[in-house]
Amino acid sequence: MSKARLRVAGGAVYDPANEAGADGAIRDVCIEDGRIVAELPRDAPKVDARGMVVMPGGVDIHSHIAGSSVNHGRRLLPEEHAADPAPAPPLADPDAIPRSGTGGTIPTTFTTGYRYAGLGYTTAMEAAVAPLAARHAHAELDDTPIIDAGLFALLGNDDYLLRQIAAGEVARARDYAAWVLSAAGAYAIKIVNPGGVERWKAGGRNVTGLDDAVGTGAVTPRRILETLADAANALELPHPVHIHCNNLGQAGNAATTLETMRALAGRRAHFTHLQFHSYGGERGKSWKSAAKEVIEHVNAHPEVSADVGQVMFGPATTLTADAPVEYLLHASSGKRWVNVDIELETGCGIVPYSYREKAAVAALQWAIGLELFLLAKDPWRVVLSTDHPNGGSFLSYPELIRLLMDRGYRDERLKQVNQKLVAGSTLADGLAREYTLSEIAIVTRAAPARLLGLKDKGHLGVGADADVTIYANDPDRAKMFSTPRHVIKGGVLVVEEGQLRRAPTGRRLRVRPGYDPAVTRDLKRWFDGYACVSFENYPAVELGE
Amino acid sequence: MTKRVVEHATCLGCGCACDDIAVVVDGDRIAEARNTCALGRAWFADGSVPRETRSGGKVVAPDVALADAAKLLGRAERPLVYLAPEISCETQRAAVAIADRLGALLDSPTGAIAAGILASQRRGRAAATLGEIRQRADLVVFWGVDPADRYPRYASRYAVDPPGLQAPDGRNSRRVVAVDVGPSRGAADADERVAIAPEDEIDALALMRAVVLGRGIGDGTVARVATGLATQMMRARYVALVHDAEPSPRGPPLPLHPDSGEALIALAQALNGPARCALSSLRAGGNRSGADAVATWQTGFPFAVDFAPGYPCYRPHAGAAVLLARGEIDIALLVGSPAGVPQDVAATLGQVTTIAIGPRASAAPFRPKVAIDTGVAGIHEGGTAFRMDDLALPLRPALSGPSVAADVVRALAARLTKGRS
Repeated sequence: MSKARLRVAGGAVYDPANEAGADGAIRDVCIEDGRIVAELPRDAPKVDARGMVVMPGGVDIHSHIAGSSVNHGRRLLPEEHAADPAPAPPLADPDAIPRSGTGGTIPTTFTTGYRYAGLGYTTAMEAAVAPLAARHAHAELDDTPIIDAGLFALLGNDDYLLRQIAAGEVARARDYAAWVLSAAGAYAIKIVNPGGVERWKAGGRNVTGLDDAVGTGAVTPRRILETLADAANALELPHPVHIHCNNLGQAGNAATTLETMRALAGRRAHFTHLQFHSYGGERGKSWKSAAKEVIEHVNAHPEVSADVGQVMFGPATTLTADAPVEYLLHASSGKRWVNVDIELETGCGIVPYSYREKAAVAALQWAIGLELFLLAKDPWRVVLSTDHPNGGSFLSYPELIRLLMDRGYRDERLKQVNQKLVAGSTLADGLAREYTLSEIAIVTRAAPARLLGLKDKGHLGVGADADVTIYANDPDRAKMFSTPRHVIKGGVLVVEEGQLRRAPTGRRLRVRPGYDPAVTRDLKRWFDGYACVSFENYPAVELGE
Repeated sequence: MTKRVVEHATCLGCGCACDDIAVVVDGDRIAEARNTCALGRAWFADGSVPRETRSGGKVVAPDVALADAAKLLGRAERPLVYLAPEISCETQRAAVAIADRLGALLDSPTGAIAAGILASQRRGRAAATLGEIRQRADLVVFWGVDPADRYPRYASRYAVDPPGLQAPDGRNSRRVVAVDVGPSRGAADADERVAIAPEDEIDALALMRAVVLGRGIGDGTVARVATGLATQMMRARYVALVHDAEPSPRGPPLPLHPDSGEALIALAQALNGPARCALSSLRAGGNRSGADAVATWQTGFPFAVDFAPGYPCYRPHAGAAVLLARGEIDIALLVGSPAGVPQDVAATLGQVTTIAIGPRASAAPFRPKVAIDTGVAGIHEGGTAFRMDDLALPLRPALSGPSVAADVVRALAARLTKGRS
């Protein structure tokens, strides 16, 4: 199959980012040299999409698929891998080397690429990489075929940044953030539990609020958030700061989440896996949903965006730079636990986990995620994620889509879960909303692409990347979204008649913001004083200076 | 000829992977490797390596050797692909692809420390990158290991001497305890020395954990020692518990109990609560840790991966050493330095047909049928290698070598693919 031209003919096209791409209008999508074009000659090769649904390729705004923490997780799960073998797919190109692998909640790299593509996703963001370990993450992404991928660089518990904040050096903090993004080959700034990881690594307690001192009173979670949010906006990064708030997973943490949103009022900011930060009640005493309060704030503030981080029943692996949270989970569950303190930058904690529908807190978490989805007013600002593999595997997205689109199914499922904490939530009171196909196209591709600032993705306008997914229009939406009929990535037909047939190499998405080179002289002095890696060996990619 | 200097080179002489080496090159030889320890100096040496390509004992052109290797592997019924040391992650990745294509057993020297890896899969780990130990540790406990022997710059770069964020006066900010387990002595430079008989090691670690968890443990001799050690660890802010994950240099019988790894993990995890604690597991060099990382991200398992069913299966108790000894392997593709292959595997490689691609392959004692000499990763070849704590570092080659290992392995993979289609 030539890469050059392809006509996706006669499908119902859902392209909500473009005015012309009306709701399911029947039309052709034309592809030439990896891009969407307006017209093609009549004799161009065709994919018959009659009776099918055509959407842009899926875009995952937040996932954990590559790098040192992910690989620590893989190593911890031999039994999951043994239970989910993934033989090499029969690729069409005789010179390609198709690769076998294993799955489970953290699949191997090749299997990750194949499975994302098999799900109709063509872009994914690795959401937490210590800049020091970025070289490792890039090496894994090099072995992750098909999908275009970027990585988010962890900042906010790193010694150099905290020093600049302590000294009031706002401009230098911004230059440093720009340098780190460039050196790590990263796409965006990720903040995880600002200040809390550093405090825990230093032998103290995790922070509990935005004004706790981190080392010195001049450094607080609030100052870290403000500094990095302002840096991202001043640097005009395509994606604003991507924030994992303080107090993840704690009863009553919605207050912290709302306070964080208010602290950054007026600034663009993305709040990730919002479900894990929308709990009411009181720490150590009681749990309840605070989804309504949190989502109403999001609804009223157009500068705020979020992904949900839905919990799905079944196996998961909790894996985060928020190491103190994983310590608590290990201490309370007695489960296997990996902790790796990462020098001068961040932490890493991993605990395998399972969300059981008969467990009260898991049922509440599940309900809160659905409440956030169903009460969100603007699908362009509240998008789909499970924080793979934390809330569940990316393979559970089709089931999640069914829960959003099919009220009857959702209500049936709701009856089966533990009712103890769910009672009294807006979900239990009855939420009638059903997502439309157009809204699903928004929350799974158009909106994540827009929030990421990926101008050529998430839509099918002329000039866009030719990433296209074609689904059989099955009334069982879980079935429909789990097995796309055809998937086109960069103009290449990777899934054909439901079979993975081609596995081209994906692109790396990264930013190269400018910075005052004076910061590198100061950084070099700091490296000489504290670091255990040479300044010259730190960048994972060529800086291109 | 003028000398040139390659700065910030990474030494793979041991798992410390010191990346501050200045390699002075005079002509086509290394004249000096500055900042190295004795082990690093021996590793860099003058950088000379053999540059032969042999098949059936004769010197042949590289293409001929590759064709012969592809033919042998194409006929293999139960092939082994072995990731020996001194190759980059790029070469390891290409070699795992061949194992996948052939349906081979994949293994590496990590098979020799299987007990410790399996323990970390049952329990997890409480760990830190080496630089974090430098920043935080106020108590360093060397459990039956003196890093001066096999990890000479560990103490000066990481765990004991250098100043850190929470150890501003370096060595003076830290207390060092050496635990001698029989003949395996703790660090010489210690503030306190404690002796434990090898037969008491597991009990002592279990009792220490019991103390940390607040359980009463009686007052026998071992209990008294355990109480003393555990109490100081609980009082510390951040404990670095250091042990040697590699097989003993003294050879079998091992003076360290094979299950000590699991007991150390459990103790380190329990200490997070009353204090912070990281277990630092010392690993040898040559990018051994990279082989684990690559195997894990490509197969889901760190070593002993059998591709025979058409997908990766974990066979931690039936790895290379076992299958070779049973006579199940007919052809072995060894990628890396034959000199770095553990004794139990090396001893049996001579009994099967072998293809060796790597540094000094032509000098392998097991007489490979096909041998292709390559450079040493980090001396002649660039790419990526892992420090013992799983941190990926760049390699800065000082010399150009014979064939580049990654290129040779990829060329072999291409021949195998064409052979199939």
